[in-house]
Amino acid sequence: MGLLNVQNLSKHFGGLKAVDQVDLSIEKGQIYGLIGPNGAGKSTLFNCVAGSYAPTSGRILYNGEDITGWKPWNICRKKIARTFQIVKPFQTKTVLANALVGAFLRTANVSEAEDMAMAVLKKFHLADKRNVLAKNLTIADRKRLEVARAMATAPDMLLLDECMAGLRHSEVDETLDVIREIRDSGVTIFMIEHIMRAIMTVSDRITVIQFGRKIMDGTPQEVANDERVVKAYLGESYGAA
Amino acid sequence: MTGAYYGLAALGLTLIFGVIKVINFAHGSLLMVGMFTAYWIIQLTGWHPYAALVLVIPLLFAFGYALQGIVIKPVLEAQREVREPTEVIIVTTGVWYILDNLALMLFGAEFRTAKTSLTGQVFFIGDYFLPKPQFYGVIITIATSAFLLWFLKHTRIGRSIRAASLDRDAASLMGINQYRVYNIAFGIGAAIAGIVGCVLIPFYYVYPSVGVIFDVKCFIIVVLGGLGSIPGALIGGVIVGLIESIFPMFMTSTWTELIVYAVFMAVLFIRPAGLFGEKRDW
Amino acid sequence: MNPASKKKTIDMVLKIVLALVVFTLPLWLTSPTYLQILIFLFLFAYLTTAWNLVGGFAGVLPLGHSAYVGIGAYTSTVLFITWGISPWVGMWVGALIAAVVGTIIGIPTLKLRGAYFALSTMAFGEGIRVLVENTMTVGPFIINGPRGINIPLLPGNNLAAYQFVSKVPYYYIILIMLIVVLFITRYVSRIRAGHYLAAGGEEPEAAQALGVNVAKYKVWAMALSCFLTALGGTFLAQLTLYFYPKQILGLDFSFELAFIALIGGRGTIAGPIIGALILRPVGEFTRIYLSAVLPGLHLVIYGLVLILVMLFQPRGLVEPLTRFYDWILNRISGAETRKE
Repeated sequence: MGLLNVQNLSKHFGGLKAVDQVDLSIEKGQIYGLIGPNGAGKSTLFNCVAGSYAPTSGRILYNGEDITGWKPWNICRKKIARTFQIVKPFQTKTVLANALVGAFLRTANVSEAEDMAMAVLKKFHLADKRNVLAKNLTIADRKRLEVARAMATAPDMLLLDECMAGLRHSEVDETLDVIREIRDSGVTIFMIEHIMRAIMTVSDRITVIQFGRKIMDGTPQEVANDERVVKAYLGESYGAA
Repeated sequence: MTGAYYGLAALGLTLIFGVIKVINFAHGSLLMVGMFTAYWIIQLTGWHPYAALVLVIPLLFAFGYALQGIVIKPVLEAQREVREPTEVIIVTTGVWYILDNLALMLFGAEFRTAKTSLTGQVFFIGDYFLPKPQFYGVIITIATSAFLLWFLKHTRIGRSIRAASLDRDAASLMGINQYRVYNIAFGIGAAIAGIVGCVLIPFYYVYPSVGVIFDVKCFIIVVLGGLGSIPGALIGGVIVGLIESIFPMFMTSTWTELIVYAVFMAVLFIRPAGLFGEKRDW
Repeated sequence: MNPASKKKTIDMVLKIVLALVVFTLPLWLTSPTYLQILIFLFLFAYLTTAWNLVGGFAGVLPLGHSAYVGIGAYTSTVLFITWGISPWVGMWVGALIAAVVGTIIGIPTLKLRGAYFALSTMAFGEGIRVLVENTMTVGPFIINGPRGINIPLLPGNNLAAYQFVSKVPYYYIILIMLIVVLFITRYVSRIRAGHYLAAGGEEPEAAQALGVNVAKYKVWAMALSCFLTALGGTFLAQLTLYFYPKQILGLDFSFELAFIALIGGRGTIAGPIIGALILRPVGEFTRIYLSAVLPGLHLVIYGLVLILVMLFQPRGLVEPLTRFYDWILNRISGAETRKE
């Protein structure tokens, strides 16, 4: 049984079946990708796992424990952290203060938390900007802060929601390296991404979703060659970076 | 019957809030301004109160338009990233204070009544009598709402308003000048407040803080009926009006007030979208 | 001495002088009118600082806080009149009740979005006022409805009954209360709870994703705020020895607290003080000298100031004033102006 198990998950909004009986299983230490055309239900699925939405039916198991419908903060306490597609930094606070909120999950002591936060910032090359207000950061830095802040909670699993949208080519490469580093440090990664070359190169396994249903899962190789997937993406240019 | 003009007043509010997502705490004050304007028109010219509408509507519209443009727009611009700017609440509260107290300063606190040809007139229907002014008030309310509904559906401006209410930025991308639309919406809301003011004149006291009662009730009604929904505002108004008419038969009027507040709180908790409001991800 | 340390020294000296002045004021400013004005200034700064815990740090806009002032005032007074319990004891009872009430109200309302929350606090505040206005007695307690309660004046200074002949003891009491509440605020802002509260107020979703149970912290802030506010209510009652629902439970009062915080700078520690320093004297002087001629003028001014501040300095006047102060210090000490 994998680290994260999504079983027969459905999320309906009134008549709309945003997620329709999706199964997937993520092993510890994997980088697991989730792709699909726009509106396919990827973010909804993410939100169900992260606790922002309560699923209509189905189960989510983490480490064997049923976390279906848990509140987001409790899910974070279970060591699952997430980032948001549209980044949400605490704008009026400094970079350090942002990371601090994350670090506080591990300790209530202010100076300990500050040390932890600084350590994380250093890894993400944000240490020299620690006193800059979040609203004054560039978009690339904000995205890094988003991830750094989540990492400050010392999660075992990280949910990345389109963290590379809008980045330049070189920035995408940098981010891929960071993702690999995170995984190498022992964190399992579950990511949604539209930039095909990125997710194809970095993922161990991928699930493809369309109209809320899973149409296949497999290695990037298998996915790229699968007829159903190609049809689903007909019209979308491969390598959109 | 009371419900009807509560509903009308609430209409103006729901429009403003529904469209610009602005909570206009000054709505009651606008009503007060409308009333005083009508009052002075009547005192000075002896016109029939409804004739005064001719002046009141454009005046209030212009006033609302200006208010939105001068005071509210800059705040909205500064707060563009925030979905629900609370600064606006504060600013409209400031407007409310200014308007109400300017009126207090200029006109004094006494209650006045306007002598109009309608005051105290009644229809006799069998054994019951129906106060004329209130009756006409209902008619005007219905007429205004109908007009408003038609306006929003069938005119270009109306449709722009509805578009802007659904998504500010998308609408502006489609070439709708969002701020102008807001100005207009606000103007309409203000004009409606003015209409209510006129309607009330024949049977209501005129004094500077008259707006306050209506303000609070309007918000309750708007929440009850659903933000941005016109039928909701009307029905909400009727409900509140009914409560206020029926309950005093069983208990003192102040307990009735409490009931209204309690209903309000209940709605907030149980169904914040109101009876007819769109489900938003508040 | 180099300019930088000269600046620090000047800063320290100014602060010490200010502290000395504030603490010894009653010794040389003997006019009871002016003392009263200062006392009210401190009181409003106190109440607004307590309000700030919810309205500033938690990021919501409570517009019904006068209810808690009233709870404090009524509880301690009613206990005193009926059973002779000293207001010094009664005030803690009032504070506890206020905290409980605040929690009960807070739990459902703090989940609401900004505007809805504001409305609900207003509704609740008005609801309490109407309720009190229509209650003459509650069991053995006399509430006296809309006419309010008169606290019997005892001869001379009576410490146990929290009554004093001159204004001076009141001055020091409220000054101490203010300092304590400022320290409490500073403490809260530094510990984890304070950071969580601020995060939850600014970006609740992000905070939740970082493990913060936003609602829980907001409720705690509310309870603390209501507790402290009620203590201020008892002080007010003992200061004026008379209060009535429209005044102490009124919307005007609630709004004034909010205005002061907003103008000064909500979410900052010095904000309420600055706000009170600006608004209160304006209010008092217009009221004293102009209210016969132009009633309500001070409220017009409040409204104007509010709008102007929101338009130009929505985060309050603390920031620009701090920068101004800094600039003055730089000029005096010759230190380099800070590069932005």
